[in-house]
Amino acid sequence: MALEREKSLMKGLRQLIFPLAAVLAAFVAGSFLVLAVGDSPLATYQLLIGSAFTWPDGIGYTLFYATPLIFTGLAVAVAFRCGLLNIGAEGQLYIASFATAWVGITFAGLPAILLVPLCCLAAVLAGGVWGGIPGVLKARFGAHEVITTIMMNFIAIALASYFTQYHYKPPGDAILETVPIGEGGHIARLGRFVPGLPERIPLNLSFLLALATCVLVYLFLWRTRWGYEIRATGASPAAAQYGGIATGRQIVLAMALSGALAGMVGINEVLGYRYRYYDSFSSGYGFTGIAVALLGRNHPVGVILASLLFGALLRGGLFVDIFTEHVSKDLVMVLQGIIILFVAAEAMFRDRFRGPFGRRIKGV
Amino acid sequence: MLRQKVPWTLGLCLALIAGLAGSGCNNLAKAAGDPKKVRVGIVFDSGGKDDRSFNAAAYRGVKRAAKDFPIVLRDAEPGDPASLEPAMRAFAEVGYDLIIGIGFAQTPIVEAVAKDYPKQNFAIIDGVSDLPNVASLIFKEHEGSFLVGMIAARTTKTGVVGFVGGMDVPLIHKFEVGYEEGARAANPKIVVIQNYVGVTEAAWNNPGKGKELAVAQIGKGADVIFAAAGNSGLGVFDAAEQYQKYVIGVDSNQNWVKPGFVLTSMVKRVDNAVYQIISDLVNHRFKGGIHVYGLPDGGVGIAMDQYNEKLIPPDVLRQVEEAKAKIIRGEIKVTNAMEK
Repeated sequence: MALEREKSLMKGLRQLIFPLAAVLAAFVAGSFLVLAVGDSPLATYQLLIGSAFTWPDGIGYTLFYATPLIFTGLAVAVAFRCGLLNIGAEGQLYIASFATAWVGITFAGLPAILLVPLCCLAAVLAGGVWGGIPGVLKARFGAHEVITTIMMNFIAIALASYFTQYHYKPPGDAILETVPIGEGGHIARLGRFVPGLPERIPLNLSFLLALATCVLVYLFLWRTRWGYEIRATGASPAAAQYGGIATGRQIVLAMALSGALAGMVGINEVLGYRYRYYDSFSSGYGFTGIAVALLGRNHPVGVILASLLFGALLRGGLFVDIFTEHVSKDLVMVLQGIIILFVAAEAMFRDRFRGPFGRRIKGV
Repeated sequence: MLRQKVPWTLGLCLALIAGLAGSGCNNLAKAAGDPKKVRVGIVFDSGGKDDRSFNAAAYRGVKRAAKDFPIVLRDAEPGDPASLEPAMRAFAEVGYDLIIGIGFAQTPIVEAVAKDYPKQNFAIIDGVSDLPNVASLIFKEHEGSFLVGMIAARTTKTGVVGFVGGMDVPLIHKFEVGYEEGARAANPKIVVIQNYVGVTEAAWNNPGKGKELAVAQIGKGADVIFAAAGNSGLGVFDAAEQYQKYVIGVDSNQNWVKPGFVLTSMVKRVDNAVYQIISDLVNHRFKGGIHVYGLPDGGVGIAMDQYNEKLIPPDVLRQVEEAKAKIIRGEIKVTNAMEK
């Protein structure tokens, strides 16, 4: 038993090697780039990593940036476990954030004990419905989810903009944002509980919610029958169907779940940070979520680690952009790109030796 | 074999990150610049500092200040509205003495950050804040727009002039209303068509849509178009060149952008305002509150130079100068669309 546990721990650690190597390789490749534009790679990386881990601002913001990425990373990972590529997390989080704000505005008078759960429910439901639609289209009509989720992104972003602009904007306000939600909808910032962490840092309770969600997703996928059926569908739809699993239903379930997870970004954004819907607030969290899931190997623990890395890169990238002579924040994009290239290349390398589906079937 | 390698690789990575993080904190202080000097940070609007218009004007101002005074100057170009606040907070966090936000969209951000850092100074262009450590730099754009409206009305052969605004917001309505009133003052029968690029921040950075709108207005007969649209305005310039019509630039002197097709520019001397506030800070005269720039101090006005001197006849210029004097004396009242 103890040996078993040690073995599985080792297996887990081994899973970390390739992503870590990819990150290191990206940093090495990036340093040539920094040299080429005329700055010192060492100083740049010191700034990049140093600014992401100062206390309290660096760590506070790194965790704050990681929060939405955990949600979107989980969203993409869950869909991926069912063999689906959810490119629509961006639209799902937008529509969910707007729904969250709408509930917070419409029922502004409610006390916190009602309004917070109601808003969270709105986020999850709106995201779930928006993710579920491409699921239904896929299960019913075979419409490819990559196409439909991309298209749903445009619809979601435009709809939220439209309602903000013409129905929920404070009159005369030059900024495209809704009126604020009721006070009861605010959730506490962690600065209230953690000594030394000022409350101006927007890191809030949704970070803890994100961690808890990771545990729940793990339990769901690996400890329940539904999770098993989703993974079986992802591993081999034909085999799953032969085994008596209604794969269509699994596709809809996985997409709805994925959308709901992406929608939880709205809890962080609306209830924990801005207390309103702010148009185009997401700097591509939905798309970065794909990279997070890929790097985190579609596993909740990996998603947390990858989110922390990308959160740190976001925070550090800002400082590199501002406080270096030549390097801009595009360096961070390049680093992200190289990391993903290496991770993807590693998967190719592995699959060549195990056959195209060998490993994934074993993993179920 | 692999099993033994695992903890070793992990340990190496962690040590590397810890080392970089540890030394990085010192480097952050170093990279932020000499704290004994006055440190100024500027956060540009979505258009970016190369928009040849609004942001470019601000950039010229801070550049000039950096040449004249011993200051540390850093800038941030967030590119999307969600990144404005983190950029501004980054400057505040490392203790910059003056942080300048370019554009009205940053007003609530400046207010929030200035509240959290009451000992540091802030400035906001085109926005108003009551906080004592925030200087609000605003312009009488409606008066400058009135003057270019007159020039447009005197120049058009079709009796139709156009206006292309960036984002559909009260600030740009100020340009539009002033322009229209000026055009009517010169020719009561003038037809003014107006369009806006969009309703989001992206409207400042969409030259394609700017050109599309300009071409549509030209199709309706407009032969002079005033582009108050930041980077999107460059599309209007393109259309003017392609269809041999006139365009009026905005914020910076844009007469040189398409020589011969740019009638004039409604300059808004953001550069002077920014320079002034930095110079105030360096000389320990920084004051919060509202600073207004208008016609008398050259804060707004028309741009005349070698590129457009042949395009505007002397009698038109004389009429414009008269109107300018009357506005300054209060004999002509131009509607301020933001005070309705």
